[in-house]
Amino acid sequence: MAERYAISKVNVPEGAAVPELVKMKMEKEEKLAEEKKQALAAKQKAREEERAKLKERTVAYEKEYADTAAELVKLRREAKLNGNFFVEPEAKLIFVVRIAGIMKMSPKPRKVLQLLRLKQLHNGVFLKVNKPTLNMLKLVQPYVTYGYPSLKTVRELIYKRGFGKVSKQRIPLSSNDIISDALGKHGIHGMEDIIHEIYTVGPNFKQVSNFLWPFKLSSPKGGFVNKRHGYCEARGGDWGNREELINELLGRMN
Amino acid sequence: MATARPVVSIYNFENPSEKTGTMPMPVVLQSPLRPDLVREVHRDMAKNKRQAYAVKPKAGYDTAAESWCTGRAVARIPRAPGGGTHRAGQAAFGNQARGGGMFNPTTIWRRWHRRVNVTKKRHAVACALAASALPPLVMARGHKINQVAELPLVVSDGIQSLTKTKQAKEALKKLGCGEELQKVIDSKSIRAGQGKARNRRYVKRLGPLVIYNEDNGITRAMRNIPGVECAHVDRLNLLRLAPGGSFGRFVIFTEGAFKKLSDIYGTLKSGAPKKKGYTLPRAAMANADLARIINSTEVQSVLRPKMERYTHGIKRNALKSKELMEELNPGSTERRAVHLKSSQKGTPEYDEVQKKKKARIEESKKYNKEHKKGDETFYKTLMKAFEAKAAADAAKKAAEKAEDEEDEE
Repeated sequence: MAERYAISKVNVPEGAAVPELVKMKMEKEEKLAEEKKQALAAKQKAREEERAKLKERTVAYEKEYADTAAELVKLRREAKLNGNFFVEPEAKLIFVVRIAGIMKMSPKPRKVLQLLRLKQLHNGVFLKVNKPTLNMLKLVQPYVTYGYPSLKTVRELIYKRGFGKVSKQRIPLSSNDIISDALGKHGIHGMEDIIHEIYTVGPNFKQVSNFLWPFKLSSPKGGFVNKRHGYCEARGGDWGNREELINELLGRMN
Repeated sequence: MATARPVVSIYNFENPSEKTGTMPMPVVLQSPLRPDLVREVHRDMAKNKRQAYAVKPKAGYDTAAESWCTGRAVARIPRAPGGGTHRAGQAAFGNQARGGGMFNPTTIWRRWHRRVNVTKKRHAVACALAASALPPLVMARGHKINQVAELPLVVSDGIQSLTKTKQAKEALKKLGCGEELQKVIDSKSIRAGQGKARNRRYVKRLGPLVIYNEDNGITRAMRNIPGVECAHVDRLNLLRLAPGGSFGRFVIFTEGAFKKLSDIYGTLKSGAPKKKGYTLPRAAMANADLARIINSTEVQSVLRPKMERYTHGIKRNALKSKELMEELNPGSTERRAVHLKSSQKGTPEYDEVQKKKKARIEESKKYNKEHKKGDETFYKTLMKAFEAKAAADAAKKAAEKAEDEEDEE
């Protein structure tokens, strides 16, 4: 807190008599300036430590991502070799984008969309995959499109369009301090921590996802196919679960 | 006011450079300044000298006009009866008619006068007196007091016995009012507006107000000096002390009058001896110096220090800005540099990658050579998928051929 003291410089012309109140103010400001300097030095030191730790963690995360990917490849190969079928792991993470506008929305889907924090067209949120969330998505199927984002998509979304909820305000994630202040108690101190928590759906996924303000995406460059119909329909459409192919869409919307 | 001067000098009216004595400042002249109160009371008091005006009660209605009603191709407004004159058939009564009455005729029973609470009036006078003791306010009102020795200007009682206007004028000039009196003379001009035709032809500025205790000729002497007004201290009029609602009239007290102020108004503790049940107004704040209060140690010691505001600046995209990426993701620049190296020919990283690739291909070839032989080669496994169909087609053809031959037979 002391590092944010606003120190005002009092300009006294040379040789002029300094009024009593001005003198008092100058003394006070001097003391605060001293405190501020110390606090800033301490903060700088803490920041360097924190950054070093974050660096280590990031390297560990990259290794983790690479390892999990390599593991899957290995298992697939092994299954093929033995003539077995490899059951792909079910997706843990979903990214939902609201496709429909706000006009003429039935009450139940309207409420569900509110609960999912999809209050605006082209808003997106990360969701954990479990029975309740899947059932909620079932209720709003025709109004959203969703799928399983890749690591690249997650990274790009958070770096480009990542905003945090800080005292109910939408604050850009322009510094790791903002993240540390809000999520420090869950052990999340930087952007890479957020990305890791989201992508691997960690124990603090809820807190992190809630901290992230719903993503406000652009309309896709190249357009939708047809928002009136479902993605899986033969006649071509957009709503519903498009699994991995959400990444292509998000690449155009981000 | 805590910062008021405690003592006022009395000037000899004949020789104003010498002071005949001093007097303590009466508490009235330390009353809190309330321009809003003075303005309000003046506004209401000034209405009390008004004379009624109105249109004649019958104005516009002194005809026997009646509407011609419908059916005569004229408007339905009442028309003057009769014939043989222009007036006949002309419109009457309405405010739109020529010669008709006005809309909402002015009346004499308009509420011309206002009553003001006595205490309010007294407070206003006290306030106006206090203002007249402050040079900045008096100057702000427009009086020229640069040559005046001090405010409040108190003059020895001799001035009350002056009988000649010439003497009075000289006395005032010696007291430093020359500039003020000249200002009044210079300001005489013809009034703008209809008043000039209504026996109010000239207007001029107001000069000093001389407040006396005993009239031994002073009123007669001062009467003809343009701008100068006299008032008895017992009967002070707010309309003279704060002309136009703005306080700060240039006032000259005589010694006796000045002394009497304390007798009339008393102090905050004693109340006003000559005004039953009245005590001078108290200030809302004992210490109105906000800067001093805020900056006092008592207040500052319990305040937290002022903080800088959070500024987030414009959101930048870390995927485009390398320095922002480094800020958010420490070590990213060096990792990226290392990664880029692996695609640059000649670097050890590049060689490493190529080595791995080579090893991989070697491995694959070796495996294929070992395991994919004879029927296990890619081509054979591919064609096996077509074998079944080829066999089925051949069988079908044979069956058809057999049928045809049968039919032929």
